[in-house]
Amino acid sequence: MKTFVIALLSGVLAAAAVSAATVTNKDGETAVLVVVEGESRMEVAIDAGATEMICPSGCFVTTPSGDRIGLQGDENVEIVNGSAIVK
Amino acid sequence: MISHAFASFRRLSYSNRIVTTARGDSASGAWFGLLRVLKLHFVGKLLAVSVCLLSLAGAGAVVAQDAQPAQTTTQPAQTPAQAPAQSNNQPAQNGAQPAQGGAPAQNVQPAADDGKAQPAPNAQQPAGGAAQPAQNAPTPVQDAAQSNDATIAADAGQSQTAEQLANAGKELKRLRDLIAKASDDDIALAELKVQVDAVGKQIISTSIATRPRLDEIKARLTELGDPPGEGQPPEADIVTAERKRLLAERGEINALTGEAESLSVQATKLSNGITATRRALFSNTLLKNTDVSIEMFDEALSATANETKVLSRSTMSWLTFVWNYKRIPLLTAIFLSICAAMVFLVGSNKLFSPYIHHDKSDEEPSYFRRLSVAFWSTLIPTISTGAFAVSSFFFLHSFNVLRSDITPIIAIALAVTVVGFFVTTLANAVLSPWDSRWRLVRVSDRGAKVLLITIFAMALVNGLDYMFGGVSEALGSPVVLTVVKSFIASVVIGLIIIASAWIKPTLKRDEPFDAPGRPWPRIVSIGLMLTGASLIIAAASGYVGLSRFIATQIIITGAILVMMYIGFLTGKAVSRQGAFAETLAGRYLERRFKLEQVGLDQVGLMAGLGIYALVILFFIPLILLQWGFQVADIESWTYRAVTEIKIGTITISLMGIMAGVLFFVLGYIVTRWVQRWIDGNVMARSRVDAGVRNSIRTGIGYIGVGLAGLIGVSAAGIDLSNLALVAGALSLGVGFGLQNIVSNFVSGLILLVERPFKVGDWIVSGTTEGFVKRISVRATEIETFQHQSIMMPNSLLINASVGNWTHRNKLGRSEIAVTVTYASDPRRIMDLLAEIAGAHPMVLKNPSPTVGFTAFGEERMTFELRIYVADVLTGGGVRNDLRVAIYERFRDEGIGAPFPLKIEDVPIEDQTGIESHEPETVGEPKGATSAEARAAAPKKEAASAAPLDEESEEEGGKRRASSRRSNPNR
Repeated sequence: MKTFVIALLSGVLAAAAVSAATVTNKDGETAVLVVVEGESRMEVAIDAGATEMICPSGCFVTTPSGDRIGLQGDENVEIVNGSAIVK
Repeated sequence: MISHAFASFRRLSYSNRIVTTARGDSASGAWFGLLRVLKLHFVGKLLAVSVCLLSLAGAGAVVAQDAQPAQTTTQPAQTPAQAPAQSNNQPAQNGAQPAQGGAPAQNVQPAADDGKAQPAPNAQQPAGGAAQPAQNAPTPVQDAAQSNDATIAADAGQSQTAEQLANAGKELKRLRDLIAKASDDDIALAELKVQVDAVGKQIISTSIATRPRLDEIKARLTELGDPPGEGQPPEADIVTAERKRLLAERGEINALTGEAESLSVQATKLSNGITATRRALFSNTLLKNTDVSIEMFDEALSATANETKVLSRSTMSWLTFVWNYKRIPLLTAIFLSICAAMVFLVGSNKLFSPYIHHDKSDEEPSYFRRLSVAFWSTLIPTISTGAFAVSSFFFLHSFNVLRSDITPIIAIALAVTVVGFFVTTLANAVLSPWDSRWRLVRVSDRGAKVLLITIFAMALVNGLDYMFGGVSEALGSPVVLTVVKSFIASVVIGLIIIASAWIKPTLKRDEPFDAPGRPWPRIVSIGLMLTGASLIIAAASGYVGLSRFIATQIIITGAILVMMYIGFLTGKAVSRQGAFAETLAGRYLERRFKLEQVGLDQVGLMAGLGIYALVILFFIPLILLQWGFQVADIESWTYRAVTEIKIGTITISLMGIMAGVLFFVLGYIVTRWVQRWIDGNVMARSRVDAGVRNSIRTGIGYIGVGLAGLIGVSAAGIDLSNLALVAGALSLGVGFGLQNIVSNFVSGLILLVERPFKVGDWIVSGTTEGFVKRISVRATEIETFQHQSIMMPNSLLINASVGNWTHRNKLGRSEIAVTVTYASDPRRIMDLLAEIAGAHPMVLKNPSPTVGFTAFGEERMTFELRIYVADVLTGGGVRNDLRVAIYERFRDEGIGAPFPLKIEDVPIEDQTGIESHEPETVGEPKGATSAEARAAAPKKEAASAAPLDEESEEEGGKRRASSRRSNPNR
């Protein structure tokens, strides 16, 4: 029982980290996102198939398709055909 | 920024209500925001449903479109007017998105002024020139109606979002105005920053609420496909109309999100602006340089005279007014204040008298006792004085006795009194100048008295400085007056500190307390002189604010630090081994709960940790407030510390983890409770077999703990998909190291389900034989007949053959061998034996006992009486009874009577060589092993060697040896 509990707890601790929003580009070409976070506006280029972590605490993203979406900071986003799919 | 206890107290007293309501507003605002977001989600769901209905209804029209090549790539001109002005200043974007076959619409289209989506018709048109097909497809009326419905619902959603954003914009504007007004009020700025941040969060969540609808639109657009190109058959009218509408809506949502984006940027700018303003405010207040000159003093002198006049006039006028028109309220307020003071004084004396009073009879109080008395005798009177001050202010205020110009003066006078009382009481408790036994620091009697006077003088000067400063502020006197007062106070405090360098308080290790004392160590006296000198120099060179700040910190922060130190020492002393048992609480616990030494020690450790926690929780915020941080700052820090700790891009939520652990513990407790309930109520009443009960209980335990773990993990906000990584790593580890453990665990589960044996069974596996005591996760506990516990890994019990004497039932056969001489009649012997067996109450009638004539010996015949008993564990006792009965019966019947009495118990292999004419019981030949006999042993009270109930010890040993020989497996 003890072993079990310890194993469980260590698993919990190991997985206790919640990360920022991850963006994965599923397209065949580089996607350029405009990320507005806080006061700054920056462009983030994500290579085909690459994954990036953006905005840990809420931001707005303009996708290559021209759509704008707000992100809370804990989402998983996929770029498919230039537009974002939030999981 | 330098708001000290005085200032905060004063503001607390009369602006608290405003602050609370403001905070209440923001809280309720957040709450309504949440409701709105929820409602929005709901609206989004409704939209989704209506769109689904629509697409189902219009399926016929869509099918034709599906045949077109599904080009889900970006429609270049789909984004109509993008509202925010800043969309213009993105020059890089044009170049950055070359692959999209054209820049997004916000670059193509200059920003619309009003920010609302003006579906620019040109942009809406598909790129292909022949996009407008012949519109002759029949349009079903209900389709159109539904599409209208969907549009209306969507419009409602968007207009709601727009409304929320407009509200947020207004709120931001209002906050900006407030910030502009409160640009020199640090407390208000701190509060406003919290509100601005909340608005920023709300803006983001508002825009997130539009995401589902955008996804729906995109999905539907993909379904509709691109407009037909040139030469392709024209599409239905309704499809074109729907696409147009969807594109327009998409543009509208994008415009709204753009608006949210710009609002969010504004909010962040505002929030950062507040931080910058507060920083500037702090450095301005602290590092403001004033020109110290003779004119200044002249000016101050005349201002003082003026102020004294104003003060006396306003005080007198207030008193006259109150006395003439508000006599009853004033007297009531004073009476209630005195009552409150009495209650606090008497109450704290009664409740805490052993903790705050020096026990005169105690000749040599222990260090811990001295510490705790010092700590509590400072804390409790200070708290009760503070409570008295607050309550009397409250009474005066609520009876409308105070006038707006008098209120701040009274408030600051009360606050200064409380703080001065705290510092003096603390110094008195630590130094205990009139009773050396209770002194915490080793200083001489004289030194203690002088130190106390010094500290009191510094506190008095500093307090008066703040009090007069408050009076000047309340009466609107010139700033120069406050500056001069602070200048004088700083210089006086500096001089006192320098003077204190010449006190001679220290003692040598063996000197008595009434010795004259020695000077400070050189480093201390130099430090004191330097500090005092720097205060004076700072004040003289114009940095009066800084000087005053340092003087206050030396007194107040110093006092708080001393208090903390005493608190920590108390915690340390309590958690020392055996110390807690000496305390009152320890003695009470010992009496009340009959706690042992170890238990008391553990409680003491917990108490020590608790004191540490209390000290930190109470005094750290106090010091931070001292240093000019605001309550709002501390609140937001604490909130952030418990909800999100950011390390790089990883966020850890302490609250989440604690909630997870809490849920796990709750789940665990519930599991235990359910286990006990099912076991004790349901199963015990239905007479379920003990083994089954054990299996079910253990199974419930595993399931419950597993579920509790899952719930805990979810409550901790941990994405279980993250655990997959851990599981992957674990499975690799299982492959190598944990293989045995896991195999045993799984075997244990199989044992519980399949139940080849259960708790209480008598089993034999390999060389181990005994009763099963417990089936646990890894191993099964078997207790041998000698009461030796053997932990047998579960996998062994699954893989090897296990013999179980009590598997289906406890029925067992037992044999007794009897030999007689050839002089006897075998039939008579068999009848006799059957009769004797049949007469025993514990021998089963069915299957009935049988007697076999098993062998012709050289001198004797061998018979075997085979009996069945209901419980194999009683076999030994029954055999014993039968042997006695056989012996007595044969003796009475005269069987073998002429022969000399020679009783010898021999193993069955050796019996042929031994002459005996008496009936002889022989060790169990085959079935009943010695183990069976030993099994009977636990049933007897005697803890002696097992076989003794049948044979003498020596014979038993022999028999064991023989049965070992007869059973090669053993």
